[in-house]
Amino acid sequence: MKRFAVPAAVLALCGAAILSVLAQDKPAGGEAAAPAAAAASAPAEVICFESRKGATEITQREIKPGLPNVKCSPTTGAALWYADPYEGTVPMGKMPQMEAIPEGLAVVKPRSEKLNLLAQCGTACHNGTYPVGFPKTNRPVPIPTMEALLPDAKNLQHGRGRVWCLDCHHNTKRNMLVDHYGDPISIDQSQLLCGKCHGDKLRDWRDGIHGKRIGDFTSTGKKRWFTCTECHNPHNVQDGARNKGFIQLQPETPPQLPRGFKDAAFEKTHAIPQH
Amino acid sequence: MTTKENPPASAAQEAPASGDPSKAVLKRSRRDVLRSGGMLSMSSLMGTAALMAQPGEAKAAVEWAEHFQKNYRLMTPEEKAEARLRLEKRYSGEYNKKVSVDITEAQPGVLMGYALNIRKCIGCRRCVKACVEENNQSRGARPGERIEWIQVLRMERGEFTADKMNQGYPEGLGIQVGGNAYSPAGQVLEGQYQYTPEAVPEKDANYMPIACMQCEKPPCVKVCPVRTTYREADGPVVIDYNWCIGCKMCMGACPYWARRFNLTTPVLPKEDMNPVTHYLGNRPRMRGVVEKCHWCLQRTRHGRYPACVEVCPVGARKFGNLLDPESEVSKILARKNVFRLKAELNTFPKFFYFYD
Ligand code: SF4
Ligand code: SF4
Repeated sequence: MKRFAVPAAVLALCGAAILSVLAQDKPAGGEAAAPAAAAASAPAEVICFESRKGATEITQREIKPGLPNVKCSPTTGAALWYADPYEGTVPMGKMPQMEAIPEGLAVVKPRSEKLNLLAQCGTACHNGTYPVGFPKTNRPVPIPTMEALLPDAKNLQHGRGRVWCLDCHHNTKRNMLVDHYGDPISIDQSQLLCGKCHGDKLRDWRDGIHGKRIGDFTSTGKKRWFTCTECHNPHNVQDGARNKGFIQLQPETPPQLPRGFKDAAFEKTHAIPQH
Repeated sequence: MTTKENPPASAAQEAPASGDPSKAVLKRSRRDVLRSGGMLSMSSLMGTAALMAQPGEAKAAVEWAEHFQKNYRLMTPEEKAEARLRLEKRYSGEYNKKVSVDITEAQPGVLMGYALNIRKCIGCRRCVKACVEENNQSRGARPGERIEWIQVLRMERGEFTADKMNQGYPEGLGIQVGGNAYSPAGQVLEGQYQYTPEAVPEKDANYMPIACMQCEKPPCVKVCPVRTTYREADGPVVIDYNWCIGCKMCMGACPYWARRFNLTTPVLPKEDMNPVTHYLGNRPRMRGVVEKCHWCLQRTRHGRYPACVEVCPVGARKFGNLLDPESEVSKILARKNVFRLKAELNTFPKFFYFYD
């Protein structure tokens, strides 16, 4: 009985850490109490997400008077405009077949810093000695303890059941991904992992044909590269019935109705005057 | 009287028409001036000059000088610099922040090109709104006050079904003309701009964003009677707003529904105004002129991606230098399935649609 109690307590700790990472947009419990009074008068912090909800987020602030670092959509909360596309980025690091790109011209927004909060998870349970009851084979099964922490862990929609946790995550270094040789890959370099299977997409991504890129458009210019998991949710790539790689989003508002149009449905029966 | 003492009112608060005759004269557009013609207009302009001699009327003085400036293409570098200083002063006062008006010329060795992955677009319209934020379009609520350069067209998917494979038209007469005439096959071509689903992409729809194609042989340029719209050396077709007389000939000539007319004084809140502008690009426009996409000249002349490319969540939008074989668009042209819209019109767009 005692043997279970200790990991359970640690897991609970991990849970708290993960949840605090996930809930960064809201002030954490301890801080919330103190500035609660101030928050009533000061406007709430605006945080918008970049490509998809739950992935990279940016906090809005002023760089210069009247100039925000990012403009967020009032209807959907998406980032609509960047003052500085390189804000918070680090050099992407080595990529096979990209030796020609000088260091620092390809930058990414790191996620690993957030994950370092979870170091205790790796030392307690996930250090390679699995807790009792942990599956021994590679057959995907639901993991009840993790389900509470990661709601999408149970419903993995990737590779139609051929892929499970340890195909992507390193089995002892929990902050890392894993390559073909079992060596760890930084979580900021998800393309190295995804490219193991999706080679054609990796090639297009490397050439700037697939995926998002911001910054400088010249082929020799500095760019921020969006890595695979900033746009695709690796646990839910097939997004249910739609079976597509990008999750559904709330769209922005439609254009202004032309004069004489009663509502949006009116367009189906009457053509929009073109001029 | 009140207008003299207050700082220049923002466009948003400006009344559409004024009973004060002196103010009415100040607000005349170039079109009005041309319309009134001859001595009459000269005398009214002289009257305006006398009014504007008063100090503290920076905006009015600038407008006065603007009436007499040349077509942007005919200006000498000095005149361009003057025009730029004039505008910077005027906009900085009007919008209460430091506004820059760029006059950077086309960069040598650059021909801008655009590509859009039609299979990736999810119809989220973020590109549309980003364009409005970047390019200082009018965003009022009354009819004609909201201007968006990009349109996203939603197209329903049709169907091919096995059971209707040999169904013909007309049925029952023994004449077989061809399959599937009773239900839309493949793509339903009638598009919809006013779609409002809870979430995009929808299961049975495709999306097709349209904006100015920056044609190599632009019909809009051909028809412009005052030659205010023209093609720049690095590709984009631009407008010198000060010379636009608002005749809307270009709107009629453009086969892509790319141009918008400022029917009312543009509504541009001070706090939302983007202070980084270009003379031929996103500087604030006046009532009675036509405007359109110019591939964010204020950004792209300095190497940066257009705003719509930076916000597209799926990376469907690609931008690059067509003369550089290593650029994104060149790679797409070399490798993907590419088509141009209304290619049969020989406008030769530099905007390419592609799919994997
Ligand atoms: S798309 Fe229309 S506005 Fe743009 S260059 Fe062509 S004709 Fe002119
Ligand atoms: S932002 Fe991208 S995905 Fe969204 S409508 Fe525009 S092109 Fe399509």
